[in-house]
Amino acid sequence: MDFELGERADDVRSQLREMLRAGVPDDFLGAFTDDPADLELTMRFCAELAEAGLLCIGWPAEYGGGDGTVWDQTVVREEMWAWHEPRGPQYMGVNWVGPAIMRHGTPEQKARHLPPIAAGSVIWCQGFSEPEAGSDLASLRTTATRDADGWLVSGQKVWTSYAAMASWCVLAAVTAPSEPTSRRLTLFLVPMDRPGIEVRPIASMLGPHHLNEVFIDELRVTDADVLGTPGDGWRIMRDALAYERVGIARYARCEALLERVREFLRDGWDDLPESVRTRWVRALIEIRVAKLLAYVAVGGEDGVDDAAASAARIVTTTLDQTVAELLFEALGSAALDTGTDAALHGAVEDHWRYAQAATVASGTIEIQRVITARDILGGR
Amino acid sequence: MDTRLPDDAGQLADAATRRFRRLGGVDAARRAEADPATRETARKALDELGVFDLDVRADADQLLAGAVLCRAAGAVVLPWPLIPHLMRVSGRHLVLIDPGHVRVDHGAVGLSWLGANVTGSAWPLEAGPPDVAGRLGPFVTGAVLGEEQPGRIDSDDIARYLTLQSWTILGALESALAEVTGHVRTRHQFGRALSQFQAVRFTMADVTIAVRGLEQLAKLTIWRLGRGDADQRVADAMALRLHAAETAVTTLRASHQMYGALGFCDETDLSVLDRHLQPSLRYPLSAERLARALVPFAGSGALTSRIA
Ligand SMILES: Cc1cc2nc3c(=O)[nH]c(=O)nc-3n(C[C@H](O)[C@H](O)[C@H](O)COP(=O)(O)OP(=O)(O)OC[C@H]3O[C@@H](n4cnc5c(N)ncnc54)[C@H](O)[C@@H]3O)c2cc1C
Repeated sequence: MDFELGERADDVRSQLREMLRAGVPDDFLGAFTDDPADLELTMRFCAELAEAGLLCIGWPAEYGGGDGTVWDQTVVREEMWAWHEPRGPQYMGVNWVGPAIMRHGTPEQKARHLPPIAAGSVIWCQGFSEPEAGSDLASLRTTATRDADGWLVSGQKVWTSYAAMASWCVLAAVTAPSEPTSRRLTLFLVPMDRPGIEVRPIASMLGPHHLNEVFIDELRVTDADVLGTPGDGWRIMRDALAYERVGIARYARCEALLERVREFLRDGWDDLPESVRTRWVRALIEIRVAKLLAYVAVGGEDGVDDAAASAARIVTTTLDQTVAELLFEALGSAALDTGTDAALHGAVEDHWRYAQAATVASGTIEIQRVITARDILGGR
Repeated sequence: MDTRLPDDAGQLADAATRRFRRLGGVDAARRAEADPATRETARKALDELGVFDLDVRADADQLLAGAVLCRAAGAVVLPWPLIPHLMRVSGRHLVLIDPGHVRVDHGAVGLSWLGANVTGSAWPLEAGPPDVAGRLGPFVTGAVLGEEQPGRIDSDDIARYLTLQSWTILGALESALAEVTGHVRTRHQFGRALSQFQAVRFTMADVTIAVRGLEQLAKLTIWRLGRGDADQRVADAMALRLHAAETAVTTLRASHQMYGALGFCDETDLSVLDRHLQPSLRYPLSAERLARALVPFAGSGALTSRIA
């Protein structure tokens, strides 16, 4: 047994902390605000990370990565999430879009798409969910119809995070309506400025940019846009979703916020009800457990294991909500405060709202339980 | 033993529900968020319902009338400070606060405020900056404490306030649950209504039981406010308020879970109910602080299940 992540990982962590201190202001709460400057900051920061060879440190060098280990990449994800994700929406490209293209893309697609992700200069979005296809993702209806020049796609996507910021989309569509799920769907890599795509933001308690509708009307796609082979969409989506589910180190922000709030409280810590402090201790233990289960999921021989990713996801998302409620308890009447006058510039309120969706986004925890139970017990 | 509401209270509750529906239901809260001046329509509706002539201190019937109004108002998160109005003290609107960090929901509606902590110390309040309101509690303001006033607030007023707050929370939870119940019945995934999945059924059963339990406790508490000794009444009210806050956290969490992504969107009532209810859940004290304040009552007999 050895729980060391390796010397390089430790160096990466120190280097990242240095960069965060220098490049990310204290009141930064992520890119998904009404202030466009926050997105700009993340674009700059991604470029700096890429320049320092850190953004895609775990990727092979041939794709613009740093030939590092999965642990080096894990450290990046933890440090970024702990500081409100200064990669903004680009975490998705690093976590699952890039790996999906590496695993399933053509040489041309790899050459075209991986370098910009590794350079920190492109934002991707995920066009999977539809109004009628949430948990039952396989039943999606957006359809790509074959013609002489390729396909024409029409339909509607929903909940598409960062769609208005993105320049590319991994779009799922039906290409063989009468085939079973395993052959019915195809993924396309589509630029968001291609005619036929319209994005409408959705007002939500999570704040701006998290949720959008995407209307697709006779969007032209070609064979060159297909990720993998036509009909292989379902397999690639499931693979991609496993990467997505371990891609956000929520436990790292939980730990950082608990620490920052404890510092903020100073002597007030001693005045907290004993029950809050004992819950605090339990939360710290749960953070360790969540981290270890995430490590099990990413440390597999052949990429991210599906069932292990679901298990890690259940624990880290419920932890997120436990900690959100605990931090509200700790702040008492200051819990709901936002803005520059608020404790930690409103980081606790921001975290609470975003945590509410944790157990729904990337597949609900009920669906993660279905996947985990299938792994343990067999059956469907 | 008869836990049904008396006819008068039931009729008032129906009238209030109808009147708030005419305002647009939860839409009134949505509108107010976009344009706070429209809160005046909520005040007018309350006026028409006779709220401004109600004296919740006078007798048990009027207190119960206040409670059913709060429940109906909670069901639509009515954008007006109803409880401070019902609990006025010499022309000032009473609001329970944490004096170390004063926050007032709807502080900026232009009323004069009296802040009190749960042990009855009181201060005139000047609502105003800092501007800290966000999506959770969009009408919250800061406030400055004036000179502490000589007399204390009657402990029965503290008990009434916390009880009315709990009835407000109850109304909001019932409303959230009704919306979610409808949703899981009509939304289909995997070729079946969500309500056919056992995971969904168990969750809905659990939260429905929790809200029913809260309703019974709310009724018992208001019935007992007219009896027993003063300490007992405060303990009862704090116990109810604690249970209301904790039931709210689990109910709203489960409601969001059952709704899926749609429940976070402001087009669903759940999102607005959750956001606008937050001040009632967090002020004047968080759940753990209320629990701590109740600890001394555990050995005194005040928290036994002996009811009458
Ligand atoms: C913040 C956020 C960001 C998102 N970003 C994206 C994105 O970028 N791209 C994208 O494509 N999608 C995105 N999504 C969509 C997300 O993947 C879906 O919300 C999720 O898969 C659930 O679907 P649904 O919301 O339609 O809920 P539903 O599927 O309607 O589920 C409602 C409830 O029913 C339960 N349920 C459903 N089926 C079963 C079953 N068989 N057994 C037991 N319980 C069941 C669910 O667990 C849930 O509790 C995002 C969602 C959120 C909240």
